[in-house]
Amino acid sequence: MKKSTLFPFFLLLVLGLSAQTATISGRLTDAKTGENLIGATVEAVGLQKGNVSNEYGFYSFTLPSGSDSVVLRFNYLGYQSAFRTILPAPGNTALNVALLPEDAVLEEVVIRANVLEDKVKSTEMSVATLTMREAKALPALFGEVDIIKIIQLKPGVTGGTEGSTGIFVRGGGRDQNLIVLDEAIVYNPDHLFGFFSTFNSDAVKDVKLFKGGFPSQYGGRLSSVIDVRMKEGNNQEYDVTGGIGLISSRLTIEGPIQRDKSSFLISGRRTYADLITRAINKANEKTPDYNPIPDYYFYDLNTKVNFTLGEHDRLYLSGYFGRDVFTFQNESFNFLFDWGNATGTARWNHVFGPKLFSNTTFTFSDYQYRIRNVLEGFSFNLGSNIRDANVKVDFYYQPNNEHTVRFGGNATYHQFTVARLQFGSDDGRVNFQSGQDFTGMEYGLYVADEWAATHRLKFNFGARMSAWKNGPAFYANVEPRASANYSLAENWSVKASYARMNQYVHLLASSGLSLPTDIWYPSTEGVKPETSDQIAVGTSYLFDKKWLITWESWYKWLQNQVDFIDGAELFGNNELERELTIGRGYAFSPLELEIEKREGRLTGWIGYTLAWVRRGEFPVINRGEYYAPPFDPRHNLNIVAMYDLNRRWQLTATLSYKSGNAAWLPVGRLSFQDVAGSRLRPVLPIYGDRNTFRYPAYMRLDLGIVYRWKTRRSEQDLTLSIYNALDRRNTFFIYLDPEFEQTNVGGQIIETPVRIAAKQVSLFPILPSITWNFKF
Amino acid sequence: MNTSKYLLGILALAAFAACDLEKEVEIDLPLYDNRPIVECYLEPGKPFRLLLTRSYGYFDDLGLDSTYFDNTLLSGATVTIAYNGQVDTLLGQLSFDLPPLPIRLYNYTGKNTVPVTPGVEYTLGITMPDGATISGKTVMLPFVPIDSILVQWNEGLDTMARVLTYITDDQTQTNFYRRMINYSTLDSVPRQNFLVTDRIATSPIFAFGTGYQLMEGDTVINTMFHITKDYYDFYESILRAVAGNRNPFAQPSPIIGNVTGSANPLGIFTCLVYDRDTTIIMR
Repeated sequence: MKKSTLFPFFLLLVLGLSAQTATISGRLTDAKTGENLIGATVEAVGLQKGNVSNEYGFYSFTLPSGSDSVVLRFNYLGYQSAFRTILPAPGNTALNVALLPEDAVLEEVVIRANVLEDKVKSTEMSVATLTMREAKALPALFGEVDIIKIIQLKPGVTGGTEGSTGIFVRGGGRDQNLIVLDEAIVYNPDHLFGFFSTFNSDAVKDVKLFKGGFPSQYGGRLSSVIDVRMKEGNNQEYDVTGGIGLISSRLTIEGPIQRDKSSFLISGRRTYADLITRAINKANEKTPDYNPIPDYYFYDLNTKVNFTLGEHDRLYLSGYFGRDVFTFQNESFNFLFDWGNATGTARWNHVFGPKLFSNTTFTFSDYQYRIRNVLEGFSFNLGSNIRDANVKVDFYYQPNNEHTVRFGGNATYHQFTVARLQFGSDDGRVNFQSGQDFTGMEYGLYVADEWAATHRLKFNFGARMSAWKNGPAFYANVEPRASANYSLAENWSVKASYARMNQYVHLLASSGLSLPTDIWYPSTEGVKPETSDQIAVGTSYLFDKKWLITWESWYKWLQNQVDFIDGAELFGNNELERELTIGRGYAFSPLELEIEKREGRLTGWIGYTLAWVRRGEFPVINRGEYYAPPFDPRHNLNIVAMYDLNRRWQLTATLSYKSGNAAWLPVGRLSFQDVAGSRLRPVLPIYGDRNTFRYPAYMRLDLGIVYRWKTRRSEQDLTLSIYNALDRRNTFFIYLDPEFEQTNVGGQIIETPVRIAAKQVSLFPILPSITWNFKF
Repeated sequence: MNTSKYLLGILALAAFAACDLEKEVEIDLPLYDNRPIVECYLEPGKPFRLLLTRSYGYFDDLGLDSTYFDNTLLSGATVTIAYNGQVDTLLGQLSFDLPPLPIRLYNYTGKNTVPVTPGVEYTLGITMPDGATISGKTVMLPFVPIDSILVQWNEGLDTMARVLTYITDDQTQTNFYRRMINYSTLDSVPRQNFLVTDRIATSPIFAFGTGYQLMEGDTVINTMFHITKDYYDFYESILRAVAGNRNPFAQPSPIIGNVTGSANPLGIFTCLVYDRDTTIIMR
């Protein structure tokens, strides 16, 4: 048979015999705001046919055509179920459905979505979702709602040090998380050196964390994907939401530009500690020898507009801009240190037909820091920058109920400025310069098919082809992805997944803590792409239709891991690669357990992970032997509970326990005499192998009380958070501290050590805070 | 760079309820094998001198009694320094720099003085009483003078001055320097003590400055050491070890010395070439 005759034959086969089927498609939205509902389910009652809406609220599924009417049920967590009766006539039926949030209806008539049942049946595994309602209710440090810190409470995820937003997923590094805001990469998701994240909860709609079994559309990082979606803006009415907290205030304004057709959202947040410190400095400016307190503040700005261009087209434009600013000025210094991210996203959704949906995206990402110090006659500047421009197209194609095909590709242009330093005199006589500039192109092509082989057995097969080009360095890799779900019963399934990931940009961080001066560095001929392979198996069991018990076991192999050699110099160095060493790693967990309850007065989850993480085969670290990286807790337990006393009062609590982090402490000491002019050091620490010490276990209980009330025109709440309610002194770091006795020898002071002790430093005692949130 | 200092300051601010946030804890560190420690600075015009001590486990008994020197100073070793075809043996005897010089102690001392000639290579050989060996090599670098020292008065605060120190770098090769500045006397804690290299310099003039913090009559002692890469790496690792212990943002470092051998030593064997200038702040 000739090709020309083969093609229509296969087309017919793939598209299905449309004359005998009815295809129902449309968008699922929030009835009050017009927001797209992501992951909402549609089900033909009694027919075991249905589907889930995609990231843009679009759904599509097929029914056998016939003359009997069919009842469709639309479900979404926190929303009243909606029912529609249709006649499945042959051909296509467009059906857009708006669901009412449960707050908007009487409690008695709410038929809750059984999202836990959907999770049992899904091929997705190693996934966690976060609702903003949960995030806003949970107690938080200084009352600052932080989605990253709530992600830290999920099993398989380890936070960094006390109070920080560091994320270490299944043994991965801090830079191995793909964090995207409306599909644009956020390179540094931190404010205040990692104590707060860049995501303003008022502007966020949905957060999804992938720890493994990565869908093929994601690539570029080894260990996780954190997909953050901004709200689109209410296209029905104007809303003003905000809050006033201990350290920052927030304000969000959203509303229709043209009702039902377009909307906007603008959201801002700013800290105000600097207003207080400036007042203190002003009051003391005439005090002799007064050292002014440095200025520090951060702010975020999120904006979004979206337009419905017609029945088949929607356009979204969104942006984020955030900065941390630290300044210090006196007679000798004029010091500025600022850093932050900027992202921009333009997306065009197009519905080609009931079975084919596309999303074309252009994103821009920028992260930079700048340090400037100006002395009279001299100036010092240091900075790094990573900037991306990315174009991406994704297709979502559903030929029939058994297959959902996703395919697409992207190309990203990366621009790196690495540790650009300039120091010189105004007259040009003195001049120091260093730094490197790179550009790189990253490509990705993917295809994946979600295949319901039988009623009980589902597969998701896919592959991603990724490539990287940076000067003479070129790498191309195939990343297979696969997952399967077999339903043993309606409420019990077993799952398995495999995913290979490649990472072409690397964060060079001199410590386990997040610093704005950490440097993003591209893959080069010398620094090969990092690679991971992860397998996971698990089971999900839904008990009493309320309690979802998920047990996963996983193993992850890591290649081409990047670390610093001992004594590495990051700054003022044009040959940074010489400071790097390449090794491997692995991590595994026989038990990653989550017990989840999403409905009823008591909701929350219990997560427990038993895991081992190792790095090794670095030629110059620990003689090539394997060792524990800092964030390798053997046991990690989190209990999150929210209890609705009634419509007004809600009690919340989180309990976190984890084994102590590995730490690199001195093992020996020597007396160092040094040369004349310097001080004698009778006790100088000697460091041996890395991370041979374990800090004490970490435990923290946070409590919260939320009081909500409504008036005709507003919804308000007061949220009281008690951080570290047990007032436990958790370890931030331990240092070794000799005590000295001073002796005067011929007019010179000689220090003699008399005692050596270890001191533990903690950051936060019990910290109550209160936040007022409002919506008008 | 002072970034980490500022970070710590901010942390301190964040921990506004900073009462009772530090406490003494008991910890067990891994076992540590004592190692010989060598400090040998060959200073032109001064005798060959060397300090040979031992390191301890961090929590080992300090032993601050009459046996301290016996335990800490390693005696009985055979120490030689070879240069220009001759070998000097350093005798195991104590010698001191005493006030008004900054106090220093050496337990191996030679009879000859270190020649001034740049380019001379020196080889250290130590045989410990148990037969284990230590060796090291270094070279005498050329003298790099301080070109000028400039005292500038602040126009706004005419009672305060700063000092600018200039040197000229030989850009035909990679050079390393240690900059030190003391106020009043040489035994004071240095106000500046850091390392610099010309690897990223695009002009031969180097300038080092103080803030506007000096008053008329103050004494400023500027020292510029011209050092080898070995010494640069060693001292950098010392600074990192000190910072890494107390600063959670800093990456610690093992000590990177230039002495090796079967005795598993740590330490530095280097020449000490420097220019030092004392300035009394005057209008």
